Amino acid sequence: MPLIEATGLTKKFRQAVKEPGLVGSLKHFFTRQYKDKLAVDHIDLSIEAGESVAYLGPNGAGKSTTIKMLTGILVPTSGRLIVDGLVPHERRQQNARNIGVVFGQRTQLWWDIPVIESFNLARDMYEIPPARYKENLAHFTELLGLAEFMNLPAGKISLGQRMRADLCMALLHDPKILYLDEPTIGLDIAVKDSIRRFVRSRVEERGTTVMLTTHDLGDIEDICDRIVIIDNGKIIHDGDLAALKDNYARDRVIHFELARPPESMAPICAGLPACELANDGLGLSVRFDRFRFAAGEIAAAVMRHVEVVDFRIDEPEVEDLIRKVYLGQLSLGSAESDAGSGEAKSLVEA
Amino acid sequence: MGRYRKYVSLARTSLEITFVYRAGFALNMIGTIFYVVAMFYLWQTIFLGSSSALGGFTWPEMKAYLLVSFLLNSLMTWFAEWNMSMDIKEGRVATDLARPMDFQASRMATAFGPLPFELFSALVVGAIVATVFGGIALPADPAHLVVFLISAALATLIKFGMVYCVSMTAFWTTGIDGVMVGRVAIQNIFSGALIPLVFFPDWLRALAAVLPFQGMISTPALTYLGKMDGPTTALMIGLQAVWATGLLLLGRLAWRGAVRAVTINGG
Amino acid sequence: MAARLALATRLRPAYRLVFLYFRCLGQQMKAILAYEADFVVLMISAVMVQLTGLLFIWTIFQRIPNINGWTFWQVVMMYALIFVTEGVGSLFFEGTWRLSNLVYTGQFDQILVRPVSPIVQVLAGAVGFNGLGNIVTGLFLIGVGIANTPVAWTPGRLLMLVILIASAATIRVAINLGSAASAFWVKAPWSMVPMFVHQLGEFAKYPITIYSVAVQALIVLAIPFAFVSFFPTAFIFGVDAWSIQGLLTPLVAIYCVLMAVWLFRVGLRRYESSGH
Repeated sequence: MPLIEATGLTKKFRQAVKEPGLVGSLKHFFTRQYKDKLAVDHIDLSIEAGESVAYLGPNGAGKSTTIKMLTGILVPTSGRLIVDGLVPHERRQQNARNIGVVFGQRTQLWWDIPVIESFNLARDMYEIPPARYKENLAHFTELLGLAEFMNLPAGKISLGQRMRADLCMALLHDPKILYLDEPTIGLDIAVKDSIRRFVRSRVEERGTTVMLTTHDLGDIEDICDRIVIIDNGKIIHDGDLAALKDNYARDRVIHFELARPPESMAPICAGLPACELANDGLGLSVRFDRFRFAAGEIAAAVMRHVEVVDFRIDEPEVEDLIRKVYLGQLSLGSAESDAGSGEAKSLVEA
Repeated sequence: MGRYRKYVSLARTSLEITFVYRAGFALNMIGTIFYVVAMFYLWQTIFLGSSSALGGFTWPEMKAYLLVSFLLNSLMTWFAEWNMSMDIKEGRVATDLARPMDFQASRMATAFGPLPFELFSALVVGAIVATVFGGIALPADPAHLVVFLISAALATLIKFGMVYCVSMTAFWTTGIDGVMVGRVAIQNIFSGALIPLVFFPDWLRALAAVLPFQGMISTPALTYLGKMDGPTTALMIGLQAVWATGLLLLGRLAWRGAVRAVTINGG
Repeated sequence: MAARLALATRLRPAYRLVFLYFRCLGQQMKAILAYEADFVVLMISAVMVQLTGLLFIWTIFQRIPNINGWTFWQVVMMYALIFVTEGVGSLFFEGTWRLSNLVYTGQFDQILVRPVSPIVQVLAGAVGFNGLGNIVTGLFLIGVGIANTPVAWTPGRLLMLVILIASAATIRVAINLGSAASAFWVKAPWSMVPMFVHQLGEFAKYPITIYSVAVQALIVLAIPFAFVSFFPTAFIFGVDAWSIQGLLTPLVAIYCVLMAVWLFRVGLRRYESSGH
């Protein structure tokens, strides 16, 4: 039986619509208008214990709403949801014992008191056995390097320190499931790296199930085995990272370094039908469909006409893949896919 | 004119925000009805239980006094004060320092923006209470009304000056609620909002006379009722003007000192 | 043996809640005590509010011997009860005033992912040290008021006094919690509905006999502020016409708590965390 199982999970929000300006405010004063928004639209999702899932999608696609239903924060509008045998919103407190939650934008730590006191309070709230608590705290302190700011209030430490402390706090009670919402947002490379290694170690050593939303591809590649993509409240891709590459990354690019500039491109092009070629002096790149050609065939075809000094093959970038998934939505003619393309851009920037 | 455009724009924005939170403002306004109604019933019981006028007030005059006091108290609600203190507390002052605006003037624009809304709702509430209780004394002389308007305008300036000075304490304390509550408590008693100052024993009246608070409620309310003779009225309004100017200047000084402290010591 | 065990397991969750409540509250206290200046300002302002209120009543009674038959000390007692109960609300249950903001900003999410009753977490979510000022001066005034009562103070009567004060405080806190639950329906960054309901308490500062029947019904039946101040005062001073109702105060307290918890639970189901 899967650890997390959602069937037809749906959440509808009612939003107030207001025109801008003083006149709009006045109008709003007397007549309020609303429109419904389907934030999550009949999704089916099944996650086994021990899986680590990247849950991706543009802003407003329904990622956070899904996570909030899984954690029991939001009550679904319709559909069925079972997490470790419980309906989260009906058994919030029991569910809370099974999960650890880190929201990148917010902290679970108490702002004005030392970090260690927040941990101690968590110990009492989650009723962590003293020995277990001691062991976990010592272990996490070492792995995450918490010692230097353990006695400072959460309000006085840096963002990177705070995120590490939050992560520690979310895992002190050995939850079966760890939900991470943008865990590395705004952090520097070193901190990102330490957080990713730490989370991955929990997956591998403890079998913790991880569900992660992120805009950072490094998070996905370092932590996750499986990718679920949501757009406009619907799941548009669900599979492992390799499958995603197979489905969407048909194109490969080989870059050749030539001994001297080719006299003419025509014969090379003739030998490689349905490929895209680009040449600038000593550089030549060929984009091809890897299901039609093997890389070797391309190389052989090129070397028949020019002398090659060196070459390399570009692996598909995850960001490209995901962008393509969104753009795929776009070409299907969905009316609201503008958000999707905007998101694709931000993924590239990330 | 161009110089003041930005402040007008700020005032408009502030008014718009009031509309966004209209339900909150409406509730706040209705909430103050409870206070006014409680006071009306209390004074009604007191006046009906005594045979003659109390402290020189007849019951219709007392009703008028309570209504005017309520009206003036409704202008520039806690929202302005809360906003100001929050700006300071949450460090938005830094962005303000970077803007080509005078801090005090922009706060004044923000505080005065919602005035039309506040005045309108206070008048509605006042009208309801007046209808229910009836028999409110009107000014005996139209001239009283004109003088009253001048005095009320000065009262609002004093209130702003006071609120501005007090919100400066947000630079030093993190909890602003206490300061706000303390100010309202002192203001309510010494401005004459709770009870006309003539009811006080001599020593308390002497104390009230040297404080700026009487200019916020007592002076305008007494001009409305025409309770003071010509020279006294002129003197009291002059005193209002002095306090208004003094408090505005004091606020500027406090601001300058605070900014120096903050920019040197860090926020 | 089995029965004792059953009782123990049933008591344990209650014990755990009380323990966690004080644990959370303790954290808040530590946080507040870090700001010494605030502590002092809050205490002083609370005392100031009481003193000016008292000054107001005193000034009135300088002119007239009684209000509708109610004496100076009786009105002071009503005032004091309002302040003591308000003090208890601020010092121990100030968190109710934060609920609106938590819901508005979505910080309430954090409360929902912890394995502790959200109501307990909300109640213990903040400490208002102004409450200490209110409790101390309020209790002092109650003491002076009692010294001015014409009744004989038997131990039974003293016990009843304690029960009444505790019930009055409970009613006050329950009203706060119940009105704070409005945050799930009315989205605002500050507690506007609780503030509105709180302002109804103005009526309870004076004897309810001065009001019209409508106002009396409002504060006796709809939102029972009269049981916070007026009825207990009537009992304490042995005013026969109203004492019997004063004895209902503990029942009203239980009713208010049940209503508040029910409202909170209904509201919780509607919670829509901000920012999707």
